[in-house]
Amino acid sequence: MSTETKTKEKIDLDPKYIIKLTVTLFATCLVVAFCLGLVNGVTLPNITASNLAKTNAALAKVYPEIDEANFVATEIEVSDDVAAAASAYSATVTNVYAITDGGAEAGYAVKLDVSGSQSTISMMVGLDTEGAVTGVSVVKSGETSGIGTKVTVDNAPLPSGVPVLDQFIGKTAADQPLKVGGNVDAISGATVSSKGVTNGVNGAIAAFAAIG
Amino acid sequence: MNIGKQFKEGMITNNPVLVQLLGMCSTMAITTSFFNGLGMGVAVIIILTLSNVLISAMRKIIPDKIRIAMFIVVIAGFVTCVDLLLQAFVPALSESLGVFIPLIVVNCIILGRAEAFSYKNGIAASFFDGIFQGVGYTVVLVIMCVIRELLGSGTFGGGLLNGGQGIRIIPEQFGVKIMTLPVGGFLVLGVLIAVMQWALARPKKKEEKN
Repeated sequence: MSTETKTKEKIDLDPKYIIKLTVTLFATCLVVAFCLGLVNGVTLPNITASNLAKTNAALAKVYPEIDEANFVATEIEVSDDVAAAASAYSATVTNVYAITDGGAEAGYAVKLDVSGSQSTISMMVGLDTEGAVTGVSVVKSGETSGIGTKVTVDNAPLPSGVPVLDQFIGKTAADQPLKVGGNVDAISGATVSSKGVTNGVNGAIAAFAAIG
Repeated sequence: MNIGKQFKEGMITNNPVLVQLLGMCSTMAITTSFFNGLGMGVAVIIILTLSNVLISAMRKIIPDKIRIAMFIVVIAGFVTCVDLLLQAFVPALSESLGVFIPLIVVNCIILGRAEAFSYKNGIAASFFDGIFQGVGYTVVLVIMCVIRELLGSGTFGGGLLNGGQGIRIIPEQFGVKIMTLPVGGFLVLGVLIAVMQWALARPKKKEEKN
């Protein structure tokens, strides 16, 4: 019995066999990676276009009072100050847009990444010239379906009847820090997603102060 | 190869959810509305069939010792491809299924079938196994969705019919909210498994009596 085990171990440790295993797995990974590269090459232009469309839709959504015909969003550079201001609320600013309404300045829209319960939530926060929130919209998220998505996709109403993302409208730096359980209501069961979105709004208000 | 037997196994005697008890996590998490169940089911059917066929085709060259790693690489590759293609060409579907597609990599039904079936059987048999096991999974998901949605929110066909709101059958204030929470998933799944075991055990008991 003991000799048998020993022989078996010897075969297991045979360098040729180990090399065969390594090469097979490595080759498979290479082939799969190559295929993924091809698919990515084919799909990337479409995905970029659809993400751009989503961003533009979110921009229009956070400024509900501006007429679409007069609405112009110009992307501006994210300065270090802006990034630092938002990171104090664990939010990462990805884009800042200067908004004009028929030529007149209408404020800045800030796009940020915050962490949700399952993955990163990418969200847009609109701010008027005074730094008050005009609207909040989620661009992309991967929250648990039926729980976290109540916040990020459905914008479900709170017990007071106000949709969860609309409660941030009109908030300014004077209301900071916005806090779930304090001056912000969460959707029950989706506390982590609600907290993530709140961080994003905090970050956007802080970023606005750094821009202006 | 016996297609009829494979169909019966996938649907009833070896149903992935109710008998093999695989894929519990996704079953519990997403069966809150009709559309979720259907969407996840269809995504699993497609990826299970593709990965079954490829693994069956590669079974001679996959070394036994590293088969699990090879399965995962193949499955993850397929899932990523499907994810990218959906995002690029069917963005609306990707939007609603987006959350589930990456989850399929870790859906143990796919790994389970690779290990238990396609690694040991021919390509055609593995193809049908993928379809039937996938359909068996989908049917259970849809049944759970219908029960949980009806008792929890009082609607039928949520996310799909009546502009996504679903057709209201029970007035809103009578919904049992616990059914839409994960607890409700456990309750419904437990009852379904019990019913299934009872149904499967019945013919045996009759034989014993005779």
